[in-house]
Amino acid sequence: MQIDPRIKSRPLYDPVVIRPKAKKHLFIGAGAELDALYASLPQEQCIRVAGGADGLTEALRAELDKVFETLPLASAVYVCGSEGFMWDIRNLSLAAGLADEQVQMCEPTTKERRLFCTHCYEITEGVTHSPQACSACGRLLLVRDHYSKLHGAYVGVQINAEDPADIPETEELV
Amino acid sequence: MSTDSIRVRVSGIEQVSPLIREFTLEAIDGEFLAFSPGSHVVVEMPAEPRPHRNAYSLLSDPRDSGCYRIAVRLQEQSRGGSVYMHESVKVGDELSITPPANLFAPNWNAGKHLLLAGGVGITPFMAYLPELKRRGADFELHYLYRGSSTGAYREQLKAELGEQCFLYDSEAGQRCALGELLADQPRGTHVYICGPEELIAGVREVTEELGWPASHVHFEAFAAPQPGKPFEVELSRSGRTVKVDGETTLLEALEDAEVDVPHLCRGGVCGQCVTRVLSGDIEHRDEFLSAAEREQGDCIMPCVSRASGKRLVIDL
Repeated sequence: MQIDPRIKSRPLYDPVVIRPKAKKHLFIGAGAELDALYASLPQEQCIRVAGGADGLTEALRAELDKVFETLPLASAVYVCGSEGFMWDIRNLSLAAGLADEQVQMCEPTTKERRLFCTHCYEITEGVTHSPQACSACGRLLLVRDHYSKLHGAYVGVQINAEDPADIPETEELV
Repeated sequence: MSTDSIRVRVSGIEQVSPLIREFTLEAIDGEFLAFSPGSHVVVEMPAEPRPHRNAYSLLSDPRDSGCYRIAVRLQEQSRGGSVYMHESVKVGDELSITPPANLFAPNWNAGKHLLLAGGVGITPFMAYLPELKRRGADFELHYLYRGSSTGAYREQLKAELGEQCFLYDSEAGQRCALGELLADQPRGTHVYICGPEELIAGVREVTEELGWPASHVHFEAFAAPQPGKPFEVELSRSGRTVKVDGETTLLEALEDAEVDVPHLCRGGVCGQCVTRVLSGDIEHRDEFLSAAEREQGDCIMPCVSRASGKRLVIDL
């Protein structure tokens, strides 16, 4: 038995491919990868929604709610953006009745991570180093590679709970 | 057995269609546990040279722990389990069952549940229905049968479910147009199929063609082990050799030789009995291993699969 050193819960992003039997293709966000796929399909089968650079804003959410209402069972969603944004779209898609395999994500556009604090349950965006202070409770969090699909975020656990005066060196996240 | 068995007494037998008998089972010691819809038990029937062990879906209300009910279709071409249940089991007899296990549970996130039953495949859905109703879930039952042999419970179902129940008696020329049915479903629908292999294969093919997500297509097909050619199996750890005759499964042959293999469904579905193969070619007959795993040729489900040649070496 060999032990796989990879973190199983950290998502991997395979190349996005067209789901051939889908009746409707929804493209969300901007990016060359999406542009090429979009151009390869008959326009009447496609819906394109711009945005995502600022994450899932109220306005975008309202627009997407309307679009999802029109999607048939055999749909495909392709999304490009930050990792947290793409998982927000995945969670919206699931809530709208789509399955995981109907949502495909591009390689995240940035290495910045969304961080979920396991102590106060709040989110800190744009995290590039570990440990990172929680934006809500201030605890110094170890940024784990363990990913929560539900929160679309990496899990953060206080790194110096025994001795809050102990401040470890920060490391850049990859 | 891998799990502690439960002693039960047969407290009722009812002919629910020309070829299907329903058995009501009561616990001899203590009480049954409630179960989840879609669960099955493996019934052990005393027989020579070894007991029959068949998996049957529980069809009673999952919240009723007073009794378990199963229904058995008489299979003339079987290895004898269903014949035994039909001809030898009488009210008052004692049998052993495994605790319920579930490989066919409803997905409660579904927006709509589309149940497709073929013949005796109605049984798991009999347990789904009370729970679907309690939850106020959106569902439809489509029930395909042959009026002269199967079709158990159809009048009761039609009376209880009304417009949510669609009956198709193939002998009356009533066909279920799978293509139309499956093309016209809302986003969030999950489909569940229990019935003959052709029905399952048909639904899988149609849903794939229609662009359904595979994870929304659920099916349960216990494979009754089929006979094959005799072969030998060498156990690498002990160096022993066990002969498997044509009518015996590899799992049974290992059990006869008192080699303990963890197992559950005995029908090629659950994956519990997966065993590493060190050499020899395998004839895969299970529903558990993926195409890639079959291709690798280094594991076997001994409950249904066999050697395709004369000899296997397994890591036991």
